[in-house]
Amino acid sequence: MSAILQATVYGLLQGCMFGLVAVGFSLVWGVMNIVNLAHGAFVVLGAYVAYEAHRLVGLDPFLGMLPAAVALFALGYAVQRYLINLVVNAPIFITLLLTFGLQLLVVNGLVLGFTADYRSIPTAYAARSLVLPGDVRVPLGRLLAALVAVGLTVALGYLMRRTRTGMAILATGMDRGAARLMGIPARHVYALTFGIAAALAGAAGAAVGGVSTFSPADAGRFTLFSFVAAVLGGLGNTAGALLGGIVLGLAESIGGQLLPGTLVNAVAFAVLVVVLAIRPQGIAGRAFYAARVEV
Amino acid sequence: MRFRRILPWGVGLLALAAGFALQSQLYTGQERTVSTVLMFVGLAAAWNLIGGYTGYASFGQVGFFGLGGYAAVVVMVHARLSFWLALPVAAVVAGLFAAAVGWPLLRLRGHYFAVATLGVAEGLREVVINLPGVTGGGAGITIPTVGPDAPTPWLGNDGFYLLFLVLAAGVVGVAALIAATPAGYALRAIHQDEEAAGAMGVNTTVAKTLAFAVSAALTGAIGAAYAFQQVTIFPERLFDVDITVLMVVMVVLGGSGTVAGPVLGAIAVGSASEWLRQHFTVGHTLVLGALIILAVILLPQGFTSYARDAVASHRYSLLENVRRYRL
Repeated sequence: MSAILQATVYGLLQGCMFGLVAVGFSLVWGVMNIVNLAHGAFVVLGAYVAYEAHRLVGLDPFLGMLPAAVALFALGYAVQRYLINLVVNAPIFITLLLTFGLQLLVVNGLVLGFTADYRSIPTAYAARSLVLPGDVRVPLGRLLAALVAVGLTVALGYLMRRTRTGMAILATGMDRGAARLMGIPARHVYALTFGIAAALAGAAGAAVGGVSTFSPADAGRFTLFSFVAAVLGGLGNTAGALLGGIVLGLAESIGGQLLPGTLVNAVAFAVLVVVLAIRPQGIAGRAFYAARVEV
Repeated sequence: MRFRRILPWGVGLLALAAGFALQSQLYTGQERTVSTVLMFVGLAAAWNLIGGYTGYASFGQVGFFGLGGYAAVVVMVHARLSFWLALPVAAVVAGLFAAAVGWPLLRLRGHYFAVATLGVAEGLREVVINLPGVTGGGAGITIPTVGPDAPTPWLGNDGFYLLFLVLAAGVVGVAALIAATPAGYALRAIHQDEEAAGAMGVNTTVAKTLAFAVSAALTGAIGAAYAFQQVTIFPERLFDVDITVLMVVMVVLGGSGTVAGPVLGAIAVGSASEWLRQHFTVGHTLVLGALIILAVILLPQGFTSYARDAVASHRYSLLENVRRYRL
């Protein structure tokens, strides 16, 4: 019983982490209909920015989120403005391939610069745990990361629904042509959206660096988790990715308790395939985004 | 008119003959490289059936590659079946599996279909890893290829070159046949507007499931040949997502939905990646990534479509091409 309870707590925390990794991915997919295969690479890049900040000036990884987010925002803005915007009107595979090329570039650049070794950013508190009744342990670092995930998701929701910038992003996502006719600079808004998503990926990377190990080889895994979390949660809702991440985290940690071997990896995808077949718009998504056929 | 209909087949036969003639001019290392390129010609042409003609981005195609490979190896190891029987078995297993999962999954569209098929491929790999009694699990499985125990002796570099050449020619031939028949029109109609295709009397469910199954069966057969060539196979290699991505890159850059596109794309991208691998030991993937980015920005509609439009309109400028697709 206690093992299942512990797995639930751990899955919840891990799920918030997945959600934090996935929220930017889901934003880009929802607004621009781009599946960003370089998202995981951005997460890893964020982890390395925080790692360098820690190495050079001793910055805590959770404070290192800030430089990571700023650096990744600049990179993301430039990538969308000067690369992806060039092929926005091309067939859908093109953006997939472009971002895949970008992923190869970032990951192999990191391997050249930092080698493929696993690294982590050590802190005094990340390994400590709160002990709840029933001997359930809550690692402090992961708890902090989960709180950050919820906080950033709420902040993003506020940005999208309550500010003019957010409204412009939503409007461009719903109908680019009409938005441009209303005087919204679509090129800038697209670049801004991608920049925000990259900044969130960078922040997620810093958090990952604070609570676990990372290496350039993790990029593909992060993209895959983002994929699954975004689809599970549904597009068009900022809380969707967090919800999807939590479902994924719980399925993985509880499945890990009940299933032999590494079959747990298959379970995550089984859940995904079933959700897609029954409810393609995801748990919290809006039907508009699921019904949209690529243009 | 008749000439124009025969011409592509003539070019295809010439290419096949050139493939046979090329073999005597290569030394062993080159022969293996060209075999790999030929394998990707077949894989790209098979992916083009579902991804190019029908417009359903199957990102789990490597699942059928791995499934075919493992089906062939399992019947060769456990049932002592000859490779020449294992090859069709692999194709049938992959095709039937694709038909079974395609029936529900082909209701999804766009990126959702892509994610779902990706999930199927990842799931297949986990199943293979977790059945060590049958598949050898993560430690891999070896086909006996020498001695009296071997169901079929290893074919040698020359033999595998011919095998991949014939397989590639066969897949391209099947694709060309489908493209020229009403089935091909049905698939293209589904790609352009599925509702309209249904309204015109195309049974879209049957058509796309068949396209998916045929594509998977061809991919499975190539997977079987690859597994036999490798002798010892591992789930990580046979279900490597990068193989799917390479297929997609080749088809899209060459020109999706055409017969010649995937062939040209596979030869160009396959040769480029092999050349980079041999000349830049460090950072060849980095250069490949940069090349992919450059290529998709300059030729977003694929080489064959660009060439056709450019010849028809006498506008060859790539910059003008970029201007057409940018925001």
